[in-house]
Amino acid sequence: MSSDFFNLLERLVNAGVDFVIVGGFAGVVHGCTYVTQDVDICCDFSIANLLALQTAISDLDPVHRMTPGRKKLQLTEQTCGQFKNLYLDTKIGQLDCLGFIDGLGDYDRVKRASMLVEVGDIKICVLDLDALIKTKRAMNRPRDKEALLQLEAIKKLKKSPDSKR
Amino acid sequence: MFAMENKQNNSRKTKSKSAQADHLQAAIDYGIDVQALIDNAGRSCAERIKRHQIALNTVESLRKAREL
Repeated sequence: MSSDFFNLLERLVNAGVDFVIVGGFAGVVHGCTYVTQDVDICCDFSIANLLALQTAISDLDPVHRMTPGRKKLQLTEQTCGQFKNLYLDTKIGQLDCLGFIDGLGDYDRVKRASMLVEVGDIKICVLDLDALIKTKRAMNRPRDKEALLQLEAIKKLKKSPDSKR
Repeated sequence: MFAMENKQNNSRKTKSKSAQADHLQAAIDYGIDVQALIDNAGRSCAERIKRHQIALNTVESLRKAREL
Protein backbone atom coordinates (compact mmCIF):
# COMPACT_ATOMS: atom_id res chain seq x y z
CA MET A 1 0.00 0.00 0.00
CA SER A 2 1.32 3.51 -0.74
CA SER A 3 2.02 6.14 1.85
CA ASP A 4 -0.78 8.36 3.02
CA PHE A 5 0.59 10.77 5.58
CA PHE A 6 -2.61 12.76 5.93
CA ASN A 7 -4.53 9.61 6.83
CA LEU A 8 -1.84 8.73 9.37
CA LEU A 9 -2.01 12.16 11.00
CA GLU A 10 -5.80 12.26 10.89
CA ARG A 11 -5.91 9.00 12.82
CA LEU A 12 -3.63 10.40 15.52
CA VAL A 13 -5.68 13.58 15.86
CA ASN A 14 -8.98 11.70 15.98
CA ALA A 15 -7.59 9.35 18.64
CA GLY A 16 -6.63 12.33 20.80
CA VAL A 17 -2.89 11.68 20.60
CA ASP A 18 -0.83 14.59 21.88
CA PHE A 19 1.82 15.31 19.23
CA VAL A 20 3.60 17.95 17.19
CA ILE A 21 4.81 17.43 13.61
CA VAL A 22 8.55 18.06 13.44
CA GLY A 23 11.36 17.30 10.99
CA GLY A 24 11.11 17.14 7.22
CA PHE A 25 7.34 16.95 7.06
CA ALA A 26 7.03 20.09 9.17
CA GLY A 27 9.20 21.72 6.49
CA VAL A 28 6.74 20.54 3.84
CA VAL A 29 3.88 22.12 5.78
CA HIS A 30 5.83 25.40 5.89
CA GLY A 31 6.42 25.29 2.13
CA CYS A 32 9.62 23.30 1.47
CA THR A 33 9.63 21.64 -1.93
CA TYR A 34 11.47 18.37 -1.19
CA VAL A 35 9.83 14.97 -0.78
CA THR A 36 10.16 13.18 2.53
CA GLN A 37 9.40 9.54 3.08
CA ASP A 38 8.44 9.58 6.71
CA VAL A 39 6.59 11.68 9.22
CA ASP A 40 8.44 12.69 12.37
CA ILE A 41 6.40 13.65 15.37
CA CYS A 42 7.41 14.69 18.84
CA CYS A 43 4.94 13.31 21.32
CA ASP A 44 4.17 12.94 24.95
CA PHE A 45 5.63 9.59 25.99
CA SER A 46 3.14 9.08 28.79
CA ILE A 47 1.52 5.65 28.96
CA ALA A 48 -1.92 6.99 28.05
CA ASN A 49 -0.63 8.85 25.02
CA LEU A 50 1.45 5.96 23.69
CA LEU A 51 -1.45 3.55 24.09
CA ALA A 52 -3.74 6.00 22.27
CA LEU A 53 -1.17 6.22 19.47
CA GLN A 54 -1.01 2.43 19.26
CA THR A 55 -4.80 2.17 19.07
CA ALA A 56 -4.94 4.82 16.34
CA ILE A 57 -2.71 2.80 14.02
CA SER A 58 -3.42 -0.74 15.21
CA ASP A 59 -5.07 -1.83 11.93
CA LEU A 60 -2.10 -0.61 9.89
CA ASP A 61 0.23 -3.47 10.95
CA PRO A 62 2.65 -1.20 12.81
CA VAL A 63 6.14 -2.59 13.37
CA HIS A 64 9.36 -1.31 14.94
CA ARG A 65 11.23 -0.70 11.71
CA MET A 66 14.68 -0.56 13.29
CA THR A 67 14.55 -3.82 15.21
CA PRO A 68 15.80 -7.10 13.78
CA GLY A 69 12.82 -8.92 12.30
CA ARG A 70 10.71 -5.76 12.45
CA LYS A 71 8.92 -6.63 15.67
CA LYS A 72 5.21 -5.87 15.92
CA LEU A 73 4.23 -2.82 17.93
CA GLN A 74 2.77 -4.31 21.09
CA LEU A 75 2.87 -1.67 23.78
CA THR A 76 1.47 -2.37 27.21
CA GLU A 77 1.27 -0.22 30.32
CA GLN A 78 4.36 -2.05 31.55
CA THR A 79 6.47 -1.64 28.39
CA CYS A 80 5.62 1.97 27.47
CA GLY A 81 8.25 3.28 29.88
CA GLN A 82 11.04 1.48 28.01
CA PHE A 83 10.88 3.79 25.01
CA LYS A 84 12.33 7.25 24.43
CA ASN A 85 11.65 7.11 20.68
CA LEU A 86 9.59 4.83 18.46
CA TYR A 87 10.61 4.23 14.85
CA LEU A 88 7.58 2.69 13.23
CA ASP A 89 6.53 1.46 9.83
CA THR A 90 2.88 1.03 8.91
CA LYS A 91 0.94 0.09 5.78
CA ILE A 92 0.53 3.78 4.97
CA GLY A 93 3.94 5.15 5.83
CA GLN A 94 6.78 5.47 8.28
CA LEU A 95 6.11 7.25 11.53
CA ASP A 96 8.94 8.28 13.82
CA CYS A 97 7.85 9.30 17.31
CA LEU A 98 10.43 11.27 19.25
CA GLY A 99 10.42 12.26 22.89
CA PHE A 100 13.15 14.88 22.61
CA ILE A 101 14.20 17.27 19.86
CA ASP A 102 17.75 18.59 19.54
CA GLY A 103 17.90 22.34 19.93
CA LEU A 104 14.52 22.52 21.67
CA GLY A 105 14.14 19.86 24.33
CA ASP A 106 11.30 17.65 25.51
CA TYR A 107 7.70 17.48 24.34
CA ASP A 108 6.49 20.36 26.52
CA ARG A 109 9.07 22.71 25.01
CA VAL A 110 8.32 21.48 21.51
CA LYS A 111 4.60 21.97 22.06
CA ARG A 112 5.20 25.55 23.22
CA ALA A 113 7.09 26.20 19.98
CA SER A 114 4.31 24.83 17.79
CA MET A 115 1.42 26.31 15.87
CA LEU A 116 -1.99 24.91 14.98
CA VAL A 117 -2.58 24.33 11.30
CA GLU A 118 -5.94 23.54 9.73
CA VAL A 119 -5.86 20.78 7.19
CA GLY A 120 -9.26 19.73 5.92
CA ASP A 121 -11.46 19.10 8.92
CA ILE A 122 -8.68 18.68 11.42
CA LYS A 123 -6.23 20.88 13.27
CA ILE A 124 -2.68 19.65 13.60
CA CYS A 125 0.17 21.00 15.74
CA VAL A 126 3.26 21.76 13.67
CA LEU A 127 6.59 23.07 14.89
CA ASP A 128 6.76 26.76 13.99
CA LEU A 129 9.22 28.00 11.39
CA ASP A 130 11.73 29.60 13.77
CA ALA A 131 11.84 26.52 15.99
CA LEU A 132 12.24 24.25 12.99
CA ILE A 133 15.18 26.33 11.77
CA LYS A 134 16.65 26.15 15.27
CA THR A 135 16.42 22.34 15.37
CA LYS A 136 17.89 21.95 11.88
CA ARG A 137 20.79 24.20 12.90
CA ALA A 138 21.28 22.25 16.13
CA MET A 139 21.39 18.90 14.35
CA ASN A 140 23.87 20.25 11.82
CA ARG A 141 23.70 17.14 9.62
CA PRO A 142 24.94 17.43 6.03
CA ARG A 143 21.57 16.12 4.80
CA ASP A 144 19.78 19.00 6.51
CA LYS A 145 21.69 21.65 4.62
CA GLU A 146 19.20 22.02 1.78
CA ALA A 147 16.23 21.91 4.17
CA LEU A 148 17.81 24.68 6.25
CA LEU A 149 18.46 26.83 3.18
CA GLN A 150 14.86 26.36 2.05
CA LEU A 151 13.48 27.17 5.50
CA GLU A 152 15.56 30.33 5.80
CA ALA A 153 14.49 31.40 2.32
CA ILE A 154 10.84 30.77 3.27
CA LYS A 155 11.30 32.91 6.37
CA LYS A 156 12.72 35.68 4.24
CA LEU A 157 9.85 35.40 1.74
CA LYS A 158 7.32 35.62 4.56
CA LYS A 159 8.93 38.82 5.79
CA SER A 160 8.86 40.45 2.35
CA PRO A 161 5.36 40.38 0.90
CA ASP A 162 6.72 42.17 -2.18
CA SER A 163 8.74 39.10 -3.10
CA LYS A 164 5.52 37.10 -3.43
CA ARG A 165 3.65 37.09 -6.69
CA MET B 1 24.78 58.88 23.86
CA PHE B 2 21.28 58.63 22.38
CA ALA B 3 22.63 59.25 18.88
CA MET B 4 25.20 56.54 19.38
CA GLU B 5 22.54 54.03 20.47
CA ASN B 6 20.48 54.94 17.42
CA LYS B 7 23.46 54.41 15.17
CA GLN B 8 24.10 51.00 16.75
CA ASN B 9 20.44 50.01 16.33
CA ASN B 10 20.47 51.09 12.68
CA SER B 11 23.63 49.14 12.10
CA ARG B 12 22.06 46.05 13.70
CA LYS B 13 18.95 46.46 11.53
CA THR B 14 21.05 46.80 8.39
CA LYS B 15 23.06 43.71 9.28
CA SER B 16 19.87 41.76 9.96
CA LYS B 17 18.35 42.88 6.64
CA SER B 18 21.46 41.93 4.76
CA ALA B 19 21.51 38.52 6.51
CA GLN B 20 17.96 37.93 5.30
CA ALA B 21 18.85 38.89 1.74
CA ASP B 22 21.84 36.57 2.02
CA HIS B 23 19.52 33.69 2.92
CA LEU B 24 17.60 34.09 -0.31
CA GLN B 25 20.79 34.45 -2.33
CA ALA B 26 22.32 31.44 -0.54
CA ALA B 27 19.31 29.33 -1.54
CA ILE B 28 19.60 30.48 -5.16
CA ASP B 29 23.36 29.82 -5.18
CA TYR B 30 22.76 26.31 -3.80
CA GLY B 31 20.45 25.60 -6.72
CA ILE B 32 17.15 25.77 -4.86
CA ASP B 33 14.22 26.71 -7.06
CA VAL B 34 13.16 29.82 -5.16
CA GLN B 35 10.24 30.36 -7.53
CA ALA B 36 8.85 27.01 -6.36
CA LEU B 37 9.13 28.27 -2.76
CA ILE B 38 7.32 31.47 -3.75
CA ASP B 39 4.58 29.41 -5.43
CA ASN B 40 4.27 27.28 -2.28
CA ALA B 41 4.01 30.39 -0.12
CA GLY B 42 0.77 31.19 -1.93
CA ARG B 43 -0.74 27.81 -1.14
CA SER B 44 -2.55 26.61 1.96
CA CYS B 45 -0.97 23.99 4.23
CA ALA B 46 -3.56 21.48 2.99
CA GLU B 47 -2.55 22.13 -0.62
CA ARG B 48 1.15 21.74 0.23
CA ILE B 49 0.48 18.42 1.95
CA LYS B 50 -1.63 17.25 -0.99
CA ARG B 51 1.04 18.18 -3.53
CA HIS B 52 3.70 16.50 -1.42
CA GLN B 53 1.58 13.35 -1.32
CA ILE B 54 1.28 13.36 -5.11
CA ALA B 55 5.06 13.73 -5.44
CA LEU B 56 5.68 10.97 -2.89
CA ASN B 57 3.24 8.63 -4.65
CA THR B 58 5.09 9.27 -7.91
CA VAL B 59 8.45 8.50 -6.28
CA GLU B 60 7.05 5.29 -4.77
CA SER B 61 5.51 4.21 -8.10
CA LEU B 62 8.79 4.78 -9.93
CA ARG B 63 10.70 2.88 -7.26
CA LYS B 64 8.29 -0.06 -7.49
CA ALA B 65 8.52 -0.03 -11.29
CA ARG B 66 12.31 -0.22 -11.07
CA GLU B 67 12.07 -3.22 -8.73
CA LEU B 68 9.93 -5.24 -11.21
